Amino acid sequence: MIKGDKIQSRDWLHFSKKYGTALFGLVVFVFFSVFANNFFTINNQLMLLRQMSMLTVVALGFTFVMAAGGFDMSLGNAAGLINITFGAILIATNNFMLSLIGALTVGVLLGLTNGLLVAIIGLPDFIATFAVGTITVGLKMLITKGNPMSFPQDVSKAALFVGQGKIGSIPFPVILMLILVVLVAFVLEKTRLGRRIYAIGGNKVASQYGGINVKKYRLYTFIFSGVFLAIASVMLTSRLGSAQPLAGEDFMLDTIAAVFLSTTMFGEGEPKAIGTFIGAFIICMLTNGLTMLNIEYYFQYITKGLVVILSVLTSVYLGGKLKKS
Amino acid sequence: MVNINQNVIEVKDIGKEFNGVWVLNNIDFDLKRGEIHALVGENGAGKSTFIKILSGVHCQSSGNIFINGKPIKFTCVEHSESSGIRTVHQEINLVPYFKVYENMFVGSELEKSVGGLKIIDSKEMKKCAVEVLNRLGVELDIDKTTSEINTAMKKIVEICKVLVYKPDIIIFDEPTTALGQEERKSLLNTITTLKEQGISIIYVSHNLEEIKEIADRVTVFRDGKKVALLEKEEITIDSIISNMLGEKTYNSYIREKSCAQEEEILRFEDVSTDLLKHVNFSVKKGEMLGIAGVVGAGKTEIAKAIFGLDKVKSGSIVVNGNKITPTPDNAIKNKIALVPEERQLQGIIPNFSVSKNVTLTYLEKWSNNGVLNSKSEYNSAVKYIDKLSIKTQGPEQMIKYLSGGNQQKVILSRWLVGDFEIGVFDEPTKGIDIKAKEDIYILMDELSQQGKSIIIMSSYLPELIYNCDRIIVLKDGEIVGEFTTNQDNLEEKICKVMLGGC
Repeated sequence: MIKGDKIQSRDWLHFSKKYGTALFGLVVFVFFSVFANNFFTINNQLMLLRQMSMLTVVALGFTFVMAAGGFDMSLGNAAGLINITFGAILIATNNFMLSLIGALTVGVLLGLTNGLLVAIIGLPDFIATFAVGTITVGLKMLITKGNPMSFPQDVSKAALFVGQGKIGSIPFPVILMLILVVLVAFVLEKTRLGRRIYAIGGNKVASQYGGINVKKYRLYTFIFSGVFLAIASVMLTSRLGSAQPLAGEDFMLDTIAAVFLSTTMFGEGEPKAIGTFIGAFIICMLTNGLTMLNIEYYFQYITKGLVVILSVLTSVYLGGKLKKS
Repeated sequence: MVNINQNVIEVKDIGKEFNGVWVLNNIDFDLKRGEIHALVGENGAGKSTFIKILSGVHCQSSGNIFINGKPIKFTCVEHSESSGIRTVHQEINLVPYFKVYENMFVGSELEKSVGGLKIIDSKEMKKCAVEVLNRLGVELDIDKTTSEINTAMKKIVEICKVLVYKPDIIIFDEPTTALGQEERKSLLNTITTLKEQGISIIYVSHNLEEIKEIADRVTVFRDGKKVALLEKEEITIDSIISNMLGEKTYNSYIREKSCAQEEEILRFEDVSTDLLKHVNFSVKKGEMLGIAGVVGAGKTEIAKAIFGLDKVKSGSIVVNGNKITPTPDNAIKNKIALVPEERQLQGIIPNFSVSKNVTLTYLEKWSNNGVLNSKSEYNSAVKYIDKLSIKTQGPEQMIKYLSGGNQQKVILSRWLVGDFEIGVFDEPTKGIDIKAKEDIYILMDELSQQGKSIIIMSSYLPELIYNCDRIIVLKDGEIVGEFTTNQDNLEEKICKVMLGGC
């Protein structure tokens, strides 16, 4: 009997370590559904999905970087530079494709710069990407003096569709997000590229001894991060209807939170695309739910921080307990 | 009055259970004051668990421990430490940019009071550090930065770190791993010195010659049980081995015949790196070449040069008659395999499954246009688990939960799947048990029979002598000797050249 109990409690530990973070999200979800009127409605859920779509896309890019054991601190600040690149080209040409290509180019350049400094030259990722992010602040302020750029009246429909359009009753950003989640999940888990990225994150030195070109793959992760940031920035700018140099700064902290939640999500310490999606959902759900409960704005930040600490703590604590038993 | 024959540790009928599985059963053990009591057994025999109970990492599930005659149950490491027990771990954990004496006092820093403020007392620490080193009879500049000293000296610093607590009992866990012949000897002397100063020592090692040399008594573990207690006069390598292996018979492995062919496959032409100086040698197809030398002599650097992990400054590496640019990519393209020395650091991806660790290097084989076929990955892993008798719950188990010997077999499989031509095996049997060692020797022999060339770097000369066709000896990055292995007194001859005595 005693033995049986023991095994059961161990299984429970395993289960909660593996799904603890997701379960935690579910509990919060149920809580809001019960206590916040209008939270659990189709309209609100669709809105929540739309709100989280940009964060999810940025976080998906960051997931590549973290999967390879790296970090990218440039995301929040660099978003604005991409916003205004997209906006400026759109205002000048009113051509969506050109503007999109411009935005993606800046994303690639950003990733190349980060990757060159971190993966190739070997600077510490935290410092180097932070510095690159700081440079982008200077650049975007230099160009705009901090002023937003409004779209022209006759702006191309495509440029608005990315952030505001719907297919049926589903917002386009939601569809785009879901496609990208599936894509990243596929790349990370089913392809050689993904396997090698995880290997590098698991043990950089052993990967090198195993013949993996560590520099090259780490460079790729930063480029992916830049490209996904560019996609999110275009979505954001399209949503706002104007290019804001300061918009997207919240991406940084929320992205870190979402991807950290992702690394603890399935108990293995590797961030996965689906984990990042759930992580981003938890973060945005808190904002959404707390707003519905009429909790004041600044208090939402406190709650968000606490939730991240709590969920990571739970996972680490359970992991430690599992080791000992 | 201290009784010289008093048991400082007495363990009665200890058992340990993990999740319903008894990994230790009915262990009796005692340690006398000022003796070296060795623990031996294959990996998984229960030595580590036993040590962890004594050092407070685990708590026994049954039985009693007496320290100096008093019953005690350790609930945490601090508890064991306060009873005067300290462990010198296998791994070296020093802060590289701290000075030698600073490392000795990490966690036990000495302080002095200046105007009511407690500050670090470097002067006193230096004084104590010198005293401790004198006690060991070791000369070492305590003001050197730790990254500047060699592995053997780092080990000494680890011992000093423990000695500053003035322990009665020290547990040594595989202290000579990664040390060359000479350093090994001097470390054993150091440990004997400690014993003569009245410290009681529990000594865990796979190296039976070492144990024969310094142990006063030997306890042999097998399958979680204590199977023998050998007194000083009973300690012979054969007696230990027969107890360790039980029913199984053991003949120390000697490879039968050479399979070297005429055709040359690899050549170093005047290769220099940061450490290597104008190294020239060649390997023939099917040949097994041993590379001997003390730690730091440049054995690993040869492997690193081939893989481009150290920059080749001059000279060239020629494979099959073509000069290659050494990078990991090129080495693999030229069918060269590298089993690195530091399994944990350079070999395994700890959080990856056995299967993913097997397929890591030649991932192309399991993918189509970059998309992986996990089913066939799984099948290949099953095949090699079977072929090399890797002990694991299955291909999906994470490699970090396997024993050292089994991890090493997984790393070998990683290369075997790729059908390499030249295998560079750096300390392939480091820290693994006799059975796994023999499996690896037999595997290497099979490979050479298939016409593959193998380069083995080892600090343990008999390993090279019994396996290789030819041995080259390195000292300070230079080749100082070359021997065929069909001669008498070879170990002695190589030692002389290696240590540079005459």
